[in-house]
Amino acid sequence: MKTLLICPSYRFALPQLVEHGPLAIAPILGECVASHWIEYLAGLGATHVQIVAADRADQVRATLGDGARWGVRLEVLAVSVEPTLAEATARYRPTGEAGWLPAPHEIVFMNHLPGCEGVPLFSSYATWFAALLAWMPRAMTPARIRVSEISPEIWVGRRAHISPTAQLIAPCWIGDQVFIEPGAIVGPGAIIEDRSVIENEARVVHSWVGPDTFVGPMTSVVSSLAWGRTLTNWRTDSALQVPDPFLMCSLSSAALTPAFEPFDRRTRATATRPLTSWLPSWPASIPRPAPSNPPVSSASSL
Amino acid sequence: MKIENLGTSLTISEIPELTAVNSASFRDQVSAVLPAELGVIEIDLSSTRFVDSSGLGALFALYRATAQRNGVVLRIVNPRPEIRQLLELTQMQQLFEIVQR
Repeated sequence: MKTLLICPSYRFALPQLVEHGPLAIAPILGECVASHWIEYLAGLGATHVQIVAADRADQVRATLGDGARWGVRLEVLAVSVEPTLAEATARYRPTGEAGWLPAPHEIVFMNHLPGCEGVPLFSSYATWFAALLAWMPRAMTPARIRVSEISPEIWVGRRAHISPTAQLIAPCWIGDQVFIEPGAIVGPGAIIEDRSVIENEARVVHSWVGPDTFVGPMTSVVSSLAWGRTLTNWRTDSALQVPDPFLMCSLSSAALTPAFEPFDRRTRATATRPLTSWLPSWPASIPRPAPSNPPVSSASSL
Repeated sequence: MKIENLGTSLTISEIPELTAVNSASFRDQVSAVLPAELGVIEIDLSSTRFVDSSGLGALFALYRATAQRNGVVLRIVNPRPEIRQLLELTQMQQLFEIVQR
């Protein structure tokens, strides 16, 4: 059975998200938007998935591969302009051709996640974050063996390391290979994508932390999207390039100097600590608010 | 940088940036004019385009210098949205009243 996915191209409402890559491969709970769709459509019986991409199709192709992972044949078709649903139907779906998934899954515009039609992904940062929260309980598909629900509405990657003194407050999602350090508070409404580090006493509340992101000690990420050194408030759309890496930075290889490259991610995060050691005592002397929901402390290593 | 001493209140404004370059000078100039009787310190950040950790350190030094005096109000006025974000990221909003006028 065939199906066609239309990727969203550039969205002016989400410049900080688009600068990291095409929206079709934007990370959502350990996967990307397109991966969630392909998995869903494969579950409906799709065997041949065509993806129409107007924005950086080569990156989409490199990320998704040939579809073998989902048991489908995958083709990425590069176009210059994002087609509408009607244009795509006229161009790619010959009238009367058999072998397509039934409507509405024959041609899908990826402006929302599967089953979340009422929650648009790319209208604004606020809708992006709302869509992620709505998707959280649905993201635990049978194929997601690397993540488990350790407590109601608390999902944790199997290779995540969580300090016994950290507090996880539902709902929250801790991705794979994430480090949550002592005294950190994560949640409610927090999503930490894969390979990120939440340092000692940091708070992440009603926020999304992108993959490979270091959130420094004593910092407070509230109502924000934090990815690399970019902090975007999803309520106000205000964006900040955090000036000092010990507050927030990227841990991805591309963002690090060559001297760091031989080291693994934990070592890189640890290496930022000497940078923080000279800090005055001001972060520690700031009173911390009590969490609004009952916390769950987790095992040291899951 | 402009500092106005109005008896029990101090207004600091026209700070283009608060960084490693000028944070020590900010600290010295403000401490030099802190009056004995102090009610309000207002730091107008409306023209401030950039603050880094040294700048935050200078603000914290001001907090420390006035912490022993009862009733002193520390107020940051009209920070740009991204500077407000930085103040919130570092939880400085718990030490300073932040107002938009």
